[in-house]
Amino acid sequence: MVHTTFNPAGLGFRRELIPALQQAVPPEIGFFEIAPENWAGMGGRSAHTLRAFTERYPFVCHGLSLSLGGPGALDETLLRRTRDFMRTHGITLFTEHLSWCADDSHLYDLLPIPMTEEAVRYTAERIARAQDILGMQIGVENASTYIAPPGAEMTEPEFVRAVVERADCLLHLDVNNIYVNSRNFGFDPHAYLAQLPLERTCYVHVAGHCVEEDGLVIDTHGSDVIDPVWQLLQAAYQRIGRPVPTCLERDFNIPDLPTLVQEVAHIAHLQHQAFGAQAVAQWGAQAHSVNRQVA
Amino acid sequence: MLAFQEFQHQMAAHLRDPHHTRRPPGVPKRRMGVYNELLFNNVCGFLDSCFPVSRQLLGDARWRRLCRTFYRDWPSHTPWFREIPRELVRYLSEHHIAQPLPVWLADLARYEWAELAVDVMDVTPPPHDPQGDMMLSSVCLNPARVDVVSPWPVHRIGPDWQPRQAEPTFLVVFRDAQLDVQFAEINAVTAHVLSLLDQGLSGQQAFAQLATDMKHPDPQALQGFGQQLLISLREQGVLLGTRT
Repeated sequence: MVHTTFNPAGLGFRRELIPALQQAVPPEIGFFEIAPENWAGMGGRSAHTLRAFTERYPFVCHGLSLSLGGPGALDETLLRRTRDFMRTHGITLFTEHLSWCADDSHLYDLLPIPMTEEAVRYTAERIARAQDILGMQIGVENASTYIAPPGAEMTEPEFVRAVVERADCLLHLDVNNIYVNSRNFGFDPHAYLAQLPLERTCYVHVAGHCVEEDGLVIDTHGSDVIDPVWQLLQAAYQRIGRPVPTCLERDFNIPDLPTLVQEVAHIAHLQHQAFGAQAVAQWGAQAHSVNRQVA
Repeated sequence: MLAFQEFQHQMAAHLRDPHHTRRPPGVPKRRMGVYNELLFNNVCGFLDSCFPVSRQLLGDARWRRLCRTFYRDWPSHTPWFREIPRELVRYLSEHHIAQPLPVWLADLARYEWAELAVDVMDVTPPPHDPQGDMMLSSVCLNPARVDVVSPWPVHRIGPDWQPRQAEPTFLVVFRDAQLDVQFAEINAVTAHVLSLLDQGLSGQQAFAQLATDMKHPDPQALQGFGQQLLISLREQGVLLGTRT
């Protein structure tokens, strides 16, 4: 069975879902996303299983450990192994977070970068180096944060724009992260969205979150996507004006596949609504042929 | 150091040791608490799933304390999440840990880690002949393998039994042709033979060397025993045949 066309609507590829996906991949799922940190450099059953999927479906790589804004040295070995992994599996898009996760050693989660001019230059230089090693432009994702590091010299959308323009990279837009930050820091998510360099968008994330008793919103990827986040996605599509692959992230409290697929189908529905069936189908056919040539 | 990195170093120091370091200036307690919890829980998730027996035997409080000092004191340089458990194994065997721990814990943890390590080990068997005469040719060992050598019978340790006395133990954890992880208990002699074969010796050469090492009175008898042993190890999947 070979996919001939696909929606630019995808799902995070998780081990919990593999048995159901091995039975059948629902046609709503146009592509999968994986973290190279969880899959590259592995042998055995995991590697076999992944190979069986990457031979038949497009995949996107979404990194977690690169620490683009971190004080430690850029991990060029990780980049080269990610590049080899992407070649092996015919993957042509890599994105990472605009955050940091390591000083001299790893802390293993994503932390906010102080938004200064110096940090813009430093981070953009590292992104440019990453792009050199990977041999492609990468997407950089607006992150969810719970603190505003002191000494900020600009707003968050200004910081994102300054970094991606200076690095000449692409934007990985996460609409749930905008929503989470808007709640935690009290700003208008639509106004924030409008200030991002959306013309550079290569990829979009949508996800659920949870709200703690005191109102703090935590970016858990453990619940259904809520309406205000879907509305942000619609607004983003209007502003971007062309189909962009959009992935549903679900990392905790994972429901069964048919339930999850309803949200993937909703992404596809919004894409059809925003861009028309023809534009979406054209995008899918083109992306699919690129992916197959590489594979 | 660039100015903005001072904040990052302060934050990293606080994340590693929230009880003994100050919060970075300007960061509210509640918000910093979110990060402290998120990051530590993330690391604990990888450790908990790899070491179920160690965790159960220590009990939740002592296990969590161990995870905390690991996160605080051991610099993990690996970007690969599956290697966080290997870092704990190294911490247990290489770092001085103040917390009183069972004397066999480091070895038990290594044994538990071996299952994960072998399952995902990125190795391909070298060219070999599964039917080759292992007495005459250089023997091919299964490369998807971790040898666990311990003074403690780590494979028998569980909630109902913990060793009081040392008992030298030799285990081979390996991945079979169906990609399943298997465990084989071997003895000191077999472990020695495997190490000789790993150097590229044929069966005959390995058992001749063994006879010398053991000062065996009847080296020829050892060769007969050896052939049976090699065939049995090949049937189990520890050996793959002869190198070609």
